[in-house]
Amino acid sequence: MLSVKYFGAVAEKTKVAEENFSLSNQSLQELVDELEQKYDLTSLSYSIAVNQKMVQDKNSYMLMSNDVVALLPPFAGG
Amino acid sequence: MRYNRQIILPEVGEKGQEKLGLARVLIIGAGGLAAAILPYLAAAGIGEIGIIDDDLIEISNLQRQVIYKSNAVGKSKALEAKEMALSLNPSIEINAITDTLNAKNAIPLFEQYDIMVDATDNLHTKYLINDACQITNKPFVYGSIYKFQGQVSVFNYQNGPTYRCLFPNEFSNSENCVDAGVMGISVGIIGMFQANEVLKMVLEIGNVLSGELLIYNMLNNDQQKFDLLRTNLTPLSRLDFEKKYNGIENSVLEITAEAALEEINNSDVVFIDVRNEEELPKINLPNAVQIPLSELENNFAKLDSNKKILVYCQSGIRSKKAVEILKNHSFFKVQSIAGGALKLEEIIATNNAISVS
Repeated sequence: MLSVKYFGAVAEKTKVAEENFSLSNQSLQELVDELEQKYDLTSLSYSIAVNQKMVQDKNSYMLMSNDVVALLPPFAGG
Repeated sequence: MRYNRQIILPEVGEKGQEKLGLARVLIIGAGGLAAAILPYLAAAGIGEIGIIDDDLIEISNLQRQVIYKSNAVGKSKALEAKEMALSLNPSIEINAITDTLNAKNAIPLFEQYDIMVDATDNLHTKYLINDACQITNKPFVYGSIYKFQGQVSVFNYQNGPTYRCLFPNEFSNSENCVDAGVMGISVGIIGMFQANEVLKMVLEIGNVLSGELLIYNMLNNDQQKFDLLRTNLTPLSRLDFEKKYNGIENSVLEITAEAALEEINNSDVVFIDVRNEEELPKINLPNAVQIPLSELENNFAKLDSNKKILVYCQSGIRSKKAVEILKNHSFFKVQSIAGGALKLEEIIATNNAISVS
């Protein structure tokens, strides 16, 4: 089981702040590709964190049980 | 004694108060975030505070920009902010700069301060601040809001990560308060977090949010921190910095009249005449609307942000202002036609290859 948290404009598209997924043998990039498709996120820009740490290389990160993934778009208001 | 209540804190003391008095902090933007940052830094005794913004106060600002007065609508934000801060604390120095941060002034300005605070409302300026901070080797306190959520971090502090380490993709969209909406309290809380970072940095106490992104949610009071590593990007040279931001500021801003006229039959392009109804010469373009500059902000619904928008006025001055307004409202594909209607007419008259109905 892993959970994914959505923030800012990303959460507007997903309409939920958090979701759980069953774990399958996939890289972080593969999960992201699925989410982009599911929620039409391609027009948005966001960075990704796993277990409270920002991840740069999504391809080489293999998801593990209890991982918490976060999709963080930049905010601009001020 | 003014600062007694903080001097008695062991973390502050007379030494800490001295550090505050010697600190020079620049606040970029005099809007919602600055409305929380400025008063508290002034109150704490930061010796020199700069505030840069070329905006004038509007009535819709007062719902969150709480340092301004209702009877000051129409006045300069930077100047009013300075007045407010000095009446709170006359013993400090406040520099009000009625200008926009840009390629030319960023580096010389940053060199005069120790800490920059990002109190802006758009992504483009955040990258500009970031790059100028890398070049001048200064830290900046980042803050931003999206509806009821806010982000805070400190970049380029003691070799820590930069804004680009967190958000490497420079050309993305994100709504600001005007488009997405915001409660005053939300932007106030994030501004307070930023002021808190400044004070920790100056006093050298606590844990500064360097290498950490704080996200706070006003609706459920959820607070999250994310660790962030520096991705070792080489900073731009000063020359490249100027070329890049001048390039972005100028080429993105204007298009030649010739190039604009090449697009008149392009259905993905819309022309806007921002002159008043009675101004001549009229340019009859197939895909054009007339929206006087003063009414532009009330007519965004008439415009499709997916189309490329080319704006003209009489000679190309008002249209640049219109482009600025449109860009601040998430219309990214906008350009001002250099030379305006006068130039357009000249080209149409002399160039028989262009047919205009």
